[in-house]
Amino acid sequence: MSQTASAAAGAAVRPAAPGGGAMNGARVAAAIALRDLRAVARARSQLYSSVLTPLMLLVFLGNGVSQGLEPSRLPAGNFTAYLVAGTVVMTSVFSSTFSSASYYRDRDSGFLRLLLSSPHDPRTVLLGKSLAALLIGAAQAFLVLAVAAPFVDFGWQHGMAAGFGLALLTVVLLNLMLTGLAQALATRVQSMQGFHLIMNLALFPLLFFSGAFFPVDGLPAWMKVLAYVNPLTYAVDALQLATYATGSGGFIGYGVDFAVLAVLGAAVYALGFSRLPTLTWSGQ
Amino acid sequence: MTLESVNSAVTAQGIRRRYGERTALDGFSLEVPEGSVFGVLGPNGSGKSTFLALVAGAERPPEGSLTILGGPPTRSVRARIGTVFQENASDPLMTPLEYLLFAGRLFGVTGQAARERSAELLERFGLAGRAKDPISTLSGGMRRRLEVARALLHRPALLLLDEPTTGVDPEERKLLWETVLGERGGATVLLATNDLHEADAVCDLVAFVQAGRVVATGSPAELKRNLRKQTVRVELHSASSEVEAQIAELAGADNVTAANGELLITTDDAAALAARLFEAAGAAIRSLRIDEASLEDAYFQFVQRRKEAVR
Repeated sequence: MSQTASAAAGAAVRPAAPGGGAMNGARVAAAIALRDLRAVARARSQLYSSVLTPLMLLVFLGNGVSQGLEPSRLPAGNFTAYLVAGTVVMTSVFSSTFSSASYYRDRDSGFLRLLLSSPHDPRTVLLGKSLAALLIGAAQAFLVLAVAAPFVDFGWQHGMAAGFGLALLTVVLLNLMLTGLAQALATRVQSMQGFHLIMNLALFPLLFFSGAFFPVDGLPAWMKVLAYVNPLTYAVDALQLATYATGSGGFIGYGVDFAVLAVLGAAVYALGFSRLPTLTWSGQ
Repeated sequence: MTLESVNSAVTAQGIRRRYGERTALDGFSLEVPEGSVFGVLGPNGSGKSTFLALVAGAERPPEGSLTILGGPPTRSVRARIGTVFQENASDPLMTPLEYLLFAGRLFGVTGQAARERSAELLERFGLAGRAKDPISTLSGGMRRRLEVARALLHRPALLLLDEPTTGVDPEERKLLWETVLGERGGATVLLATNDLHEADAVCDLVAFVQAGRVVATGSPAELKRNLRKQTVRVELHSASSEVEAQIAELAGADNVTAANGELLITTDDAAALAARLFEAAGAAIRSLRIDEASLEDAYFQFVQRRKEAVR
């Protein structure tokens, strides 16, 4: 079975050399993202439930509350239309959290070792995984909006096409922030259970104080403060402006909403990149 | 092959690496000649995995120096290294073909070249018929073959194999090694293993590692040459330090080592020693076997896992 080294040494070796630079890094990040997207596409039950669950919430909660309360006490008299923005944000929260947990699946299956033993910067690996989580989260959230839109009486104050465009931008910025946060956590928290616990503990209260399910205007002052330091509030605000609002009175406004989401997105990515995963070895 | 005859694929000099209070590498020095199949052998926790991790990650050691493929350890050197980890690194949801194409992208083999190389390796490693099945449906042996195929895909100049045949049956193991040695081209193979018979069969050179240091280096033949000619393996009815001490004192018993529930006694004259053993401790002996010197004997002599380990 043995082969002598002298014979082997005579054979030509053609060393591989992946081209460096940003373009190659982008291609590798895209390949990593594509592989994650393919994995989600193959897990169809996950795909269906991530869209159907928020739609069911919208139908049952929206209709139930609309029927059970005085119309005059509902924002614009239509709670279902009001609830769509919050449901889209909620879908993003759950989807980006779930998708970002693929970091742990890759770590536990050993696949992360392959990625980290490659000649590419660990930031490229994280970017690829974040890109997939962002696309999955944004697509699912936007799908909820697209499926709900024909059945809900939206105002579309900027017109339907512009409204969809603004909603899409909001959803992308929101998911950018959420996936950045999830990746920053994933490289710091050892167990997937811990990761889910922290994400749920942090994001659930934020969801309730964001105007997703009830307007923040009627809240006590201290709760209002919580709402305005809550990044999800700005996503809900922009989505409501794009779909259901009939004016800008009482809303924060797109400028502030987009700026907050973009700045926070950049900040959480910077935080994520400040601690990069390293190649670990069994028995090391 | 001698250590000085060719250039080195890997040169480590005086590497020290600590993890908190634990010293994993303690002045680790090693030279791996280019083109060789080089085995790193040592007990668990001896430092061989830490050394392989440094080479695979092309990481600059905190103390000492490391040269890989003629240069300092940098990320770009990783493009010329193929690594088979102790555990599989494949995504069970992917197919073998997708896995190889993906690995090709990571290591700079893309497009038609990647498709052709993947098809060639799948054929060579006996996986062509399963190329489009989910990896989760492959047997353990098939997955290991896929890992090796993946590591060879970009035609690395240095192939790192960390216990590549763990959990693989003897037939699969033979097939795997034949294919690896046939497909490696001129690549240097750096193998970490606990399987001394495997190392004896495939390695041109081996290094014994203990407590973060290399304690012996040479070809298996050289290492065995320095041994006594024969080994007497004695299994006792029950471990007894008194009997072991008695045996160690016998004339002709050169080196007594405990391993895997047996006492390994090296000697120049096994027949004479066997007679003395039965005379001195016959009632305590369950079985006795005489072997010619093997790499395993050399390993136990150098690595010094003494008789305490049997208990």
